Amino acid sequence: MTDFTNRPDAILRVEHLSKSFGAVVALQDATLHLPAGEITGLVGDNGAGKSTLIKIISGVLSPDSGSIEFRGKPARFASPAEAREQGIETVYQDLALAGNLAVWANVYLGREQTIGPKFLHILDKRAMLSKTGEMLERFIRNVPPIAEPVEMLSGGQRQVVAIARAGAWGSKLILMDEPTAALGVAETKAVEDVIFGLKRQGLTLLVISHNLDQIFRLTDGVWVLRRGRVIGYRQTESTHPDEIVSMITGAAASAGAGA
Amino acid sequence: MTLGRSRLASVARRQGVLIAFVLLVAFMFATTSTFGTYQNLINVLQQNSIIGIIACGMTFAIILGGFDLSVGSVTALASVVGATIMINLGTPGIPIGILGAAAACLFVGATNGWLIAYLAVNPFVATLGTMTVVRGLIYVATNASPRFGVPYSFTTLGLGRLFGVPNPAIVFLIVAAALGFVLHRTRFGHYVYAVGGNPLASAQMGVNAARVRFAVYVLVSLCAAISGVILVGQTASATPQAALGYELTAIAAVIVGGAPLGGGRGRMTGTIVGVFLLGVVANGLNLFGVSPFWQPVATGLILIAAVAFDGYSKRAGDSA
Repeated sequence: MTDFTNRPDAILRVEHLSKSFGAVVALQDATLHLPAGEITGLVGDNGAGKSTLIKIISGVLSPDSGSIEFRGKPARFASPAEAREQGIETVYQDLALAGNLAVWANVYLGREQTIGPKFLHILDKRAMLSKTGEMLERFIRNVPPIAEPVEMLSGGQRQVVAIARAGAWGSKLILMDEPTAALGVAETKAVEDVIFGLKRQGLTLLVISHNLDQIFRLTDGVWVLRRGRVIGYRQTESTHPDEIVSMITGAAASAGAGA
Repeated sequence: MTLGRSRLASVARRQGVLIAFVLLVAFMFATTSTFGTYQNLINVLQQNSIIGIIACGMTFAIILGGFDLSVGSVTALASVVGATIMINLGTPGIPIGILGAAAACLFVGATNGWLIAYLAVNPFVATLGTMTVVRGLIYVATNASPRFGVPYSFTTLGLGRLFGVPNPAIVFLIVAAALGFVLHRTRFGHYVYAVGGNPLASAQMGVNAARVRFAVYVLVSLCAAISGVILVGQTASATPQAALGYELTAIAAVIVGGAPLGGGRGRMTGTIVGVFLLGVVANGLNLFGVSPFWQPVATGLILIAAVAFDGYSKRAGDSA
């Protein structure tokens, strides 16, 4: 493990992070890093601490102890807005979009372009409408109808828009919690294509998934958590699903201890 | 394909009320000789402007996913406060009376907004509470008796006309145009839709949902204040019992105009059509010599019919 944490190209380093909720220890002395420009998987059984870790990185929760370093600088985010300002974007399951707003309005939500007198904040709909297409085309092959309300899109198209939006605003690191849960095969494929598109643009991605096939399709490396502890890191090309499963379940304790 | 179909359904949904309104007006022209007279059309404008101004504000609250039951009480508050000041200070006190009415209503609106936005009190509970408290306080302060003796010059606002159009209707037009612009063209209006559609997503994307909610409830009260001041201008007096039930008429007009109670949807033009649809029906019943007691019956039936049609066309759109 020390080999990996010392890699100079890590965009994010998490050192000795701990978080408890009352008597429940959600995360214990977690130390890991994310290599820049790679897709990293985060796996573990329910309650292993994956979501807690993502919430700390994205500024939703603050840790009891430990530190985070982002792009070489100490980082402590008091809110998701602060994390976003620094370039860390999170894609939430199903919560991310306002269904009654058009695709362009969702892409620009909270970052609207305005024209005219400053105090009026008049929306520059035409500019946003035309730029949204360019922004999404960088990551999406079939851009959904931009002027259409998001609720008219399929679940897969919605997720594609949510993920592409995260990449469209110049963020450096994107965190995704189960990006394809509840999606069909074709829609999962479309979402994975967008994730690869983000990687091609140089972004770093952290993906939580219960689907090991997907982890092996998508990622360059995988971190395994068990009961709030970091069990180890494996490069995807030099490991096997069986090894990851045994690390998740603790069946091969020696494999975990050696990491 | 489903996209085209549902868009058609949504067009039918949005235009359904307008079609109904046009048919109604055509029917009124065809069956009565009195409806189309200048005097009657002026009456319709005069009688619906006060509710119309309140409904413009209410549109924001309903798109936000809430509503405001206190507007009737706040309208009465504005007229009692405004009239009292004007009676005591005479003609020079008119601007002070208007400002006083606005200040009192701003306070109630800020209270509503604070309860709903920052203490997360349900809008029904919060505004039912302020509705009752404000009405009670008006009765206490006035001993439930009307205030007479507002300078007669002030009735220009309520009874005067400009180019033949009643002044209250002109105020309604200005309020509707200004608030329609804010709702459909500015970032604030955009955020009202965003928060009404998905408060969580809006907050995650950096929209200050609490501030938007607070501002909307202040805005609704401000509209009620304008209506209350016009009410003073129509009678040169103020009654503590004024504007009873206006909140429900205004909410009905907005819903008939196509904004469902769930929030996230609706347009200012829809509200205007909703106001005049209910207004023309009331006028029609009057012209046909039907007892005014039937008017709430008609309003209620139209409300139910509009919502049922909305639900029906939405289901038709989904299953297509």
